[in-house]
Amino acid sequence: MEPGAMPQETPASDRPEAGALITDPHVAGDQDGPIVIANEFADVIVSRVRTRNGMRLDIWSPRRGTRVQLDAVELDCLSYQEPETFTAMLERTPGA
Amino acid sequence: MSAADNSQGITPMLAEIREGIAQGRVPARIFNDQEIFDLERRKLFGKAWCFLAHESEIPRPGDYVTRSIADNSIIVARDEHGNICAHLNMCRHRGNMMCKSEMGNASHFRCSYHGWVYKNSGELVGVPYFKEGYDTRLDRKQWGLVEVRTESYAGLVFGTLDPQAPSLDEYLGGFQFYLDIYLKQGLGGSEVHGPPDHWVAETDWKICAENFSGDGYHTPVAHQFGFHLGYFPSSGATHSEGWAVHIPGKGHSIGLGHTPGMPPFFGYPDDLVEQMHESLSPQQLEVFSKTRTAVGSVFPNLSFLIQPFSLVPGEPGVRFCTMRLWHPLGPGRMEMWSWCLVPKGASDEYKEEAYKAYTLAFGQAGTFEQDDFENWTKVTRAAGGSLAQGLEFPYVMGLDRPPLEDWPGPGHAVSPYVTDTNFRNLWGTWADYLARED
Repeated sequence: MEPGAMPQETPASDRPEAGALITDPHVAGDQDGPIVIANEFADVIVSRVRTRNGMRLDIWSPRRGTRVQLDAVELDCLSYQEPETFTAMLERTPGA
Repeated sequence: MSAADNSQGITPMLAEIREGIAQGRVPARIFNDQEIFDLERRKLFGKAWCFLAHESEIPRPGDYVTRSIADNSIIVARDEHGNICAHLNMCRHRGNMMCKSEMGNASHFRCSYHGWVYKNSGELVGVPYFKEGYDTRLDRKQWGLVEVRTESYAGLVFGTLDPQAPSLDEYLGGFQFYLDIYLKQGLGGSEVHGPPDHWVAETDWKICAENFSGDGYHTPVAHQFGFHLGYFPSSGATHSEGWAVHIPGKGHSIGLGHTPGMPPFFGYPDDLVEQMHESLSPQQLEVFSKTRTAVGSVFPNLSFLIQPFSLVPGEPGVRFCTMRLWHPLGPGRMEMWSWCLVPKGASDEYKEEAYKAYTLAFGQAGTFEQDDFENWTKVTRAAGGSLAQGLEFPYVMGLDRPPLEDWPGPGHAVSPYVTDTNFRNLWGTWADYLARED
């Protein structure tokens, strides 16, 4: 993505209802959570999602209407990134 | 004619005010005056080292608090690599306030106006529509948050708006010896116990700064119920005893009240006293073991007080420590910031007891706090009156008293505790700043 580009919103059909919690039908299987991670700049809702054969971490940004579900390999990869990796992500998509 | 009844503006009168201070006279009007405030904002708070935060308020990467130097909001943050930094709390794009919360944790700050994103270390990284809108015209490296110079002493983070200011070490000028009674209470040093209380008061910041530069004189009168009810282990008969010390030309001062017969380090738990024998020097131990009350200020507006206070009247006192910032908002108007400091290495039980003693005496509704602000607000109001414009106050107590020759610590020390010696140095330093050329 080009620097400063705007993130693509999740299509409306894939998004939970505004204010819906983790029981929304988009998330399949059992889940733990939700855990709210918030500061004055953003807030996200994090849950563990059990699929039929494994599990993922669901990260949902209700205000933005975006979500991502990360598996263990992706999360493991996050665990050894430098802070600058995330800075570079925000450089590409500041998220206005 | 006195130094203060001139209608030609305050600046030409500063030389006369300085001369008066040396002779023991201070104009009443300085405690509530728009011209004085304007000079202070530019020449004092624009040049001095000003307290920002205690390191224990931002212990982890991403932790931040917002504070002020004069009328500038400052973000004090610990970046992702653990370094403490301070920046003007203003987006460089159109000037919006970046952090509106008083405290929080964030790796990046994102402006709520147009969405510019900065690392918590201040660099501009994210600009919406960067390619579509700016082509190649915006160099992000040039538009980071404005950095404020910081230095620390024993957990205290100070900032200065003056790039040419001397080091903090030089600025403190030996006052570190006395600050250690508040900051090295045991081997782990001190930490804040919870967030600060803060509130607006119709009081001039300087009245508070003077009081906490060692005004033992007011205590048996303003706080007489503290004595009479048995909360405060001192007696009007002996309350003048102790010492007053200041760092000449620097404005830092401390009053050290002494109660005859009081056991050394009264009110501290024994294990903490043992630790202090390692964290403090023999000279500091000699001074601090005899001290009942230590009330001191780092020029211009950061103060501390440590003393025993009884949670139940008549019972032995518990040592508490308060740190307070007298933040100027306007002439005769300030925001009071008050923290409780506790020894990091003390038991949770002692920390809680000390916090209760602090709250009882110097929380927003504390008995001593209420006594003081009632008086200080009245002083402020009177100082703004038209007749008061030409009046001066006497600061002649201890004017001819020589310094102690065998005092074990740095600075100019005198005895007894009740004296105006510290205050003449405070106002002399204050006037020196205001009189300096830009």
